[in-house]
Amino acid sequence: MSRVLIVEDEEHLAAGLKFNLEAEGFSAEVEENGKVALDRLTTEAAAFDVVLLDVMLPGLDGYEVVRRLRQAGQYVPVMLLTARSHTDDVVRGFEAGADDYLPKPFDLSILLARVDGLLRRRTWLRGGTAGPEPELDEFLFAGKQIDFRAQMLRWDGMEQQLTLMEATLLGYLVRHEGQTVSRKALLEEVWGVRQDTDTRTVDNFIARLRRYIEAEASNPRHLLTVRGVGYRFLAEPDPTVVESA
Amino acid sequence: MDRSGGTRKRSVVLVALLGAGLITVAVALNISFIVVNWRTGLLVLAGVLSSVVLVGGLALNTTFLIREIRKSEQHDAFIHAVTHELKTPLASIKLHLQTLQQRELSDVKQLEVIETMLDDSGRLQRMIDQILLAGKTGAARRVDNPADVDLSEVVDECVVLAGKRHHLQEDELRLVEAVPHGIFVVQGDRDEIMAAITNLVDNAIKYSGETVRVAVEVVRTGARRVAIMVRDQGIGITGHELTRVFRRFYRLPAALESRVRGTGLGLSIVHAVARRHGGRAYAESRGALRGSTFTLELPLKPL
Repeated sequence: MSRVLIVEDEEHLAAGLKFNLEAEGFSAEVEENGKVALDRLTTEAAAFDVVLLDVMLPGLDGYEVVRRLRQAGQYVPVMLLTARSHTDDVVRGFEAGADDYLPKPFDLSILLARVDGLLRRRTWLRGGTAGPEPELDEFLFAGKQIDFRAQMLRWDGMEQQLTLMEATLLGYLVRHEGQTVSRKALLEEVWGVRQDTDTRTVDNFIARLRRYIEAEASNPRHLLTVRGVGYRFLAEPDPTVVESA
Repeated sequence: MDRSGGTRKRSVVLVALLGAGLITVAVALNISFIVVNWRTGLLVLAGVLSSVVLVGGLALNTTFLIREIRKSEQHDAFIHAVTHELKTPLASIKLHLQTLQQRELSDVKQLEVIETMLDDSGRLQRMIDQILLAGKTGAARRVDNPADVDLSEVVDECVVLAGKRHHLQEDELRLVEAVPHGIFVVQGDRDEIMAAITNLVDNAIKYSGETVRVAVEVVRTGARRVAIMVRDQGIGITGHELTRVFRRFYRLPAALESRVRGTGLGLSIVHAVARRHGGRAYAESRGALRGSTFTLELPLKPL
């Protein structure tokens, strides 16, 4: 679930935005003060996927919030929402580091479409998947078939039912086939967890997946550990290593 | 002797001539010296004068320039503030209308959304009224059709409405002493007087900060004068700002600093309304962060 931070001191607008974003399946939080919002955004790294930022704020104005955010090396997508719509104001917003700019009053559907746009770009940048995530129905490798719809793993006439999390994790690894994915990325993308949750959760799931897909769980060929970083999935293991059926 | 006498005579003449010549030269030198010096003096004087004129002109020019820049800055700030005050409630109304249009809402939620929009349209209307009133009161010096206005009744209404609008408790905004209606009657425009008092009360609340403690009082200040005093415990005002705050578009630096919203119209309206009714408006404060008292003094209706 994507998290949106609404930085807006106008109570009615903030409540209306929060309600609509939540109705769209986002988790939304409101901050009224620019300074407080900046503190939250810089300390809770990667806690939010999109920020809707008003310009006229108590504490610190919107331009300054986004400028300092970028200075601090935080690149969460920021959309400025403001009553100021002069060319100078718009340019100033982008120069400060905003990703998008929507003048008030705005159309609800346009706002939601733009939030989706920002999220999509963020996903592309992170995962490298082009366009909306392709729906993966099945994947074949080394004589095994993963049926994502039925959450089933089949090989040699045998079947193994996968839990939702196992299937999602496997799906993510398959989509990033050949790439090293960090435990942190897995936690964020698969579990949707942002805080420093115990990364052993990931390790436990990987161990379980290995029992399903590896001939020898203790000597993995497909689901490799990249020491100190995370994991890498290989459909075709290194040809120098002879695959045992 | 003759010779000698003639020689002496000659020499006397010569000395006399020489003396006369010397005196003439001295006088001429003196005169020319004076003339030359006088000229220099004149030049110096002209120089001093022209530089005084130049410097004065420059200073004057700079003063006017700074004043113009300030004015234009105030106008810009005013336009920004008005834009914001008009567009924000409009944005909220539009957002909530589209929410009603696009989503299935429970009855409770629907009512809540409607309440929000009514609130916003009220805010919009107050802003528009304020701008129109500023135009009207700034233009003419007298009220068009003065009528009897019961001041204590108007004050009561203002306090009740402001309390509701700002969701305040009784200890946050209170009337010091209830005055029976019909005692303080002034002649004028009820809407204008009401707007002036409302501006004073709204300001007191707005500049109170976290804890609102606003007291409103109606007192007789002379045989034929009555004053409405609005006292707060807010940010206060320092010396020379006490009169400036009544100027149109003027905003306290402290208010700008802490980003308190405002157009700079409110107190100029109070000032204009007071003048149009033959009264006056003034501010008192014990200084920054020590609260202020704003007084609107009006003449009572002649018996």
